[in-house]
Amino acid sequence: MGDSQMSMSAAHAATMEPTPFGMTSKKLVMWLFIIADAATFGAMLFAYGYTRASAVEWPRPFAFFPSVVNAMVMTVVLLTSSLTMLQAVSAARRDDRAGTAKWMWITIGLGALFAGLHLREWFNMFKEGWSLSANPTGGTVQFGAAFFSITGLHLAHVISGVVALAVIAMMFKKGRLTAGHIETTGLYWHFVDLVWMFVFPLMYLLNAH
Amino acid sequence: MSTAETTHEPGNTLYLMVFGALLAIVAVEVVLTYQHLATGTLLTALLALAIIEATLGVAYFMHMKYEKRILFWALIPYLLLCFIMMNHIWRDASRVIAHPVQSP
Repeated sequence: MGDSQMSMSAAHAATMEPTPFGMTSKKLVMWLFIIADAATFGAMLFAYGYTRASAVEWPRPFAFFPSVVNAMVMTVVLLTSSLTMLQAVSAARRDDRAGTAKWMWITIGLGALFAGLHLREWFNMFKEGWSLSANPTGGTVQFGAAFFSITGLHLAHVISGVVALAVIAMMFKKGRLTAGHIETTGLYWHFVDLVWMFVFPLMYLLNAH
Repeated sequence: MSTAETTHEPGNTLYLMVFGALLAIVAVEVVLTYQHLATGTLLTALLALAIIEATLGVAYFMHMKYEKRILFWALIPYLLLCFIMMNHIWRDASRVIAHPVQSP
């Protein structure tokens, strides 16, 4: 090895320090993305709060059955999917590829079920006349704008998470990814669940009649 | 270079306990909704319960409790500061409702 190559290796080694966070770059970047996305959802929920606080009247369209019950079922489904995702991460750490894929596909199924229940509720609301800019009761249209934009943003996260989980599951089963990838994807999925812990009470329970 | 990742796993029993706690909190939220509380009181209660749920989720499901402390201090205080600063909007909401704009 020539002198220039030795000095380049030595220089390279000198500039590479162990990460202070004790984790891989992909996991740290996922945490950074989660924090940024949490700030986005926080801003959306604050904007909803401002809109509601400054509205003279505000509709409360959600009956216990079917709306609140449906939202409760969705919450249980999403919480269960977080539990199954944890099982997938545990299996991945044991290098049990078949077990990891099994738990990830169960998580994917629960995520798809959540999305299906949500879309069914949306279409029922569309049939009643609700939309981003319409209120069938004749009151403020800002309810629809807030509800569909916040739940729509969350639904987009769920659907893209389901797609990502499927891709990661297939690639991990083929041996092309590591347990670290499963854990990093799991962080995203738990974040999606945590956002719902705020959306459910603020959008559904506060607007229940 | 060593990343020295933490590999501590809480175990299924703890996961199930946290899962049960989260379900219980959801049930409490639904029960509170139908107690005819004032909107402000209900909002405060629901937010407090949601923050507890988020804390449990971040600490145990997302393993923050088992990561290096520097991860918590690098990420969470900034996010809390963001949310605290967003609270400046409430005075304007009061102004808008006290002086509604008349349509032409």
